[in-house]
Amino acid sequence: MSPTNKLIPVLFGVFLAGCSATTTIDEYRPTGEAIELNVAEQVVILGRRDAGHYETDREFVDCVASKMRGADIGILPEQEFIDAIYPWFEPRTAPKGLSRLKRLMQDTSIKAEVSKRAVRYLVWLDGSTETLDSSGSMSCAVGPGGGGCFGFAKWDKLSVYEAIVWDLQDLTEKGRVRVDSEGTSYLIGAVAPIPFLSPVKDDACSSLGNQLKSFFSITPTTQ
Amino acid sequence: MLTITMKSFAALFALFILGGCSSSASVQLTGDFPKVLAKPKPLSAAVVFEPSFATYIAQPNAKTVIDMGAAQVRLLRNAFAGLFGRLEFVGSREEITIDNAMVIIPSVREVQVSTPSENYQNVFEVWIKYNLDLESTAGESIDSWFMPAYGKTPDAFMASKSDAIEQAAISALRDAGAKLTLDFYRIPSVNNWVTEEQERARQASLQQSDKSEVSP
Repeated sequence: MSPTNKLIPVLFGVFLAGCSATTTIDEYRPTGEAIELNVAEQVVILGRRDAGHYETDREFVDCVASKMRGADIGILPEQEFIDAIYPWFEPRTAPKGLSRLKRLMQDTSIKAEVSKRAVRYLVWLDGSTETLDSSGSMSCAVGPGGGGCFGFAKWDKLSVYEAIVWDLQDLTEKGRVRVDSEGTSYLIGAVAPIPFLSPVKDDACSSLGNQLKSFFSITPTTQ
Repeated sequence: MLTITMKSFAALFALFILGGCSSSASVQLTGDFPKVLAKPKPLSAAVVFEPSFATYIAQPNAKTVIDMGAAQVRLLRNAFAGLFGRLEFVGSREEITIDNAMVIIPSVREVQVSTPSENYQNVFEVWIKYNLDLESTAGESIDSWFMPAYGKTPDAFMASKSDAIEQAAISALRDAGAKLTLDFYRIPSVNNWVTEEQERARQASLQQSDKSEVSP
C-alpha cells in the first residue's frame, strides 16, 4: 500500500473522531435508593414548552421515552396524557413547581384521571439543542452538464437538557438529571457534499434515558 | 438525447426547489379537540355562534389564509361544557330558549402570524384575539371580555409553511381553551353574576319548598 493510500483512512479516522460528542451528566437524588415502580404503574415524560425562545421538542421526548421503554418501564405517551388531562398541562397551565402540582391534585377529577391511567411518576424534560458557532462556506451549482458542491463548513452544537422526576402519589421530587452534550460537525464539498455529523442530540438522549432508567427499580404487583 | 434529459431534469429540479420556497399558505384546521377535564358549575349559558364566527376565515396577511371557523366552534363547545352545567349552542340570539342564562357571543378581533423570517427564531407563531360579549337573557351587558391566545410550532425545521401555521394555530386554539377554563370565573363581573344567579336559584328553591309545604 502506498503512503497516500495509508493517509486516506488515517485522515478519515481523524475526521470521524472529531465528530464525536462530549457529554457530561450531573445527577441529584435525595436518597441513594432506587425509585420503586410497580409493573402496573406508568411513567409519563413531558417536555417543558413555556419558554419564549425555545421549547423541548417532541422528538427528544419520544427518544428518551423509547430508551426507558427498553427497560420494561411502562411509559404513557406524552400527548395521550396531555389530552386526557386537558387543559391542565398546556404551556399556559402546566405546574412549574410542586406547590402548584399539589393544588392540581386536590381536584378530584384530575386525581381520578391520573389514577385511571396508573401514572405514578412524571418526568419533566426541559432544554434544547442550539448551534453555537459556524464557519466556512459551501457553494453548490447545477447545470445541464451536471452539478456539484465545493467548499468546507463546520458548526458547533450544544444540547443542554434537565429531567426532573415528580412522584404523583407522594407529591414530592424524586431526583434530577442534567445532561450537557457538545460536538462539532463538518460538511465537505467534493462534488458531492459529504457530511460528518456529531450526534450531539442523540448522545444527550441516550445518556439521559440510560441515567433515568437507572433511577427506577421495577417491583412486582402487590395483591 | 442525453442533453434533453439533463435539461428536463434541471428544469424539474428548479421547479421543485421553487415550489418548496413558495411563501403563501392556505390552511384549513381539521381534527378534534380533547374534552375539558373540569367540573361545570350548576349554571346555564347560551353560546351564540354567529355565522360570521362559525365560518370565520382569517387572513392575517396577503399570503396566509386560515380557515378556522369550524375548529374554533368545536373547541369552544368543549371548553364551555367544562364551565356550565346547562348549555345551549345557537346560531343567533333569537334562537335562545333557556331562561336565566348567561348569553355569550364570541367574536374574533384579529389573527396575527409571525414566521421565522420575521421573528428570527426557528418557529412559526399565531396569535388569536377573541372577544366574548357577555349578556343576560334580557339583553343587559355583563361584560365584554378580551381573550388573547397564543400558539407556536415546536420546531419549523423541514416543515412546510402550511403545516407549521396549522400546528401553531391548533396550539393557539388549545391555549384559548386553557385560558377560558382557567380565567372565565375570575372575571369580576362574571363572578358577581354567578353570586347573583346562585342567590336567585336559592330564593327560587326556598319559595318552591314553601309552596309545597302549604299545599295539602
